Amino acid sequence: MERYAAQARRVARAVLGDPDDADDAAQDGFLSALVKLAQYDSRRPFGPWLMRIVANAATDRRRRRNVRRAEPLDPSLVGGGPRPDAAAVQSELGDRLRAALAELPERRRTAVVLFDVEGYSHAEIAGILGIPEGTVRSEVFHGRRRLRALLEDWKEQEK
Amino acid sequence: MKNPELFDHLPDPELGQALRAALERSDDSAFVARVMASYDRALEQATVPTWEVLASWFRPGVAAAIVALIAGFLFGRVVLSGGDTASIDMAMAPAEGSGGGGGLTALVTAPDPPDASVVFTSLVESR
Repeated sequence: MERYAAQARRVARAVLGDPDDADDAAQDGFLSALVKLAQYDSRRPFGPWLMRIVANAATDRRRRRNVRRAEPLDPSLVGGGPRPDAAAVQSELGDRLRAALAELPERRRTAVVLFDVEGYSHAEIAGILGIPEGTVRSEVFHGRRRLRALLEDWKEQEK
Repeated sequence: MKNPELFDHLPDPELGQALRAALERSDDSAFVARVMASYDRALEQATVPTWEVLASWFRPGVAAAIVALIAGFLFGRVVLSGGDTASIDMAMAPAEGSGGGGGLTALVTAPDPPDASVVFTSLVESR
C-alpha cells in the first residue's frame, strides 16, 4: 500500500481538486481494493487495477459532493487555499496548475495525470477510465495543450 | 518542454514533474496508517463478538423458558391432581380434532407407558 499511496492520492486529487476529499476518496479506493483483492487477476499489472478503483471512488465522491453542493466549484478556490495544517506555502505555479486542471473536464485531467505524472500507457489508461484508447490519446492531447501553455507562460514570467 | 501541438506518445517529464508537485501531499505514511486503522475498524465491525450473539439470544431464551415452565407446571398439576379427565379432555380437544375419540387422552392419563403401535394408531386417527 505504501508503494501506491502517493500515486492514489495524486490521482484522486486530479479528479476531486480538494486535497482532503482526495485523501478520503483514496482511502475509499484502498479499502474497496482490499475487499476485492480476491478478484484481482495476478497475471495483470496491479497499478492499473488499483488506479481504476481509486479513480472510480474519486468520481463517486465528486458526484456525491456535487449533489450536496448543487453548484459548481469556483476553479480559483480548488486546492483550498492556505490551511491551518499546511505549514508550507503553496507555490504559485502549483496553484495555477491546480486551477487549470480544475477547468479541464474530469476525464481529461485524469488522463493527463495518469499519463504524464504516473507514467501509464494509453492502453492502461483506457482500462482505468473505461474508455477507448483513441479517446485517451485525444484527452491527453487536449489536456496537455492547455497545461503546457500555462507552464510556458509561467516560465516566461519567471525570466 | 515538447511542442504543445505535437501529438506524441511519450510522457512529458517537465509537465509531469510540475503536475506531480502541484498534486503531491506530504506524509504518505500517516495516510497509510489512517487507511489501515480504518480497515481494522471495518474488520472489527464485520465480526460480531460471541458475547453479543449470546446476549441477543438471552431475552427470547428466557421468555421461552418461562413459557415452557408455566406450561409444564400447569400440565403437571392437572396430571397429578388425580385424573381430572374433564379438564384434560378440554385441554386435548384441539389436538384430537373434531373426529377423534379419546385416544390421546387415554394415552396421557394412562399410568403405564403406552405401546408404540398404540401411539402411532392414535396419531393417525387424530389426523
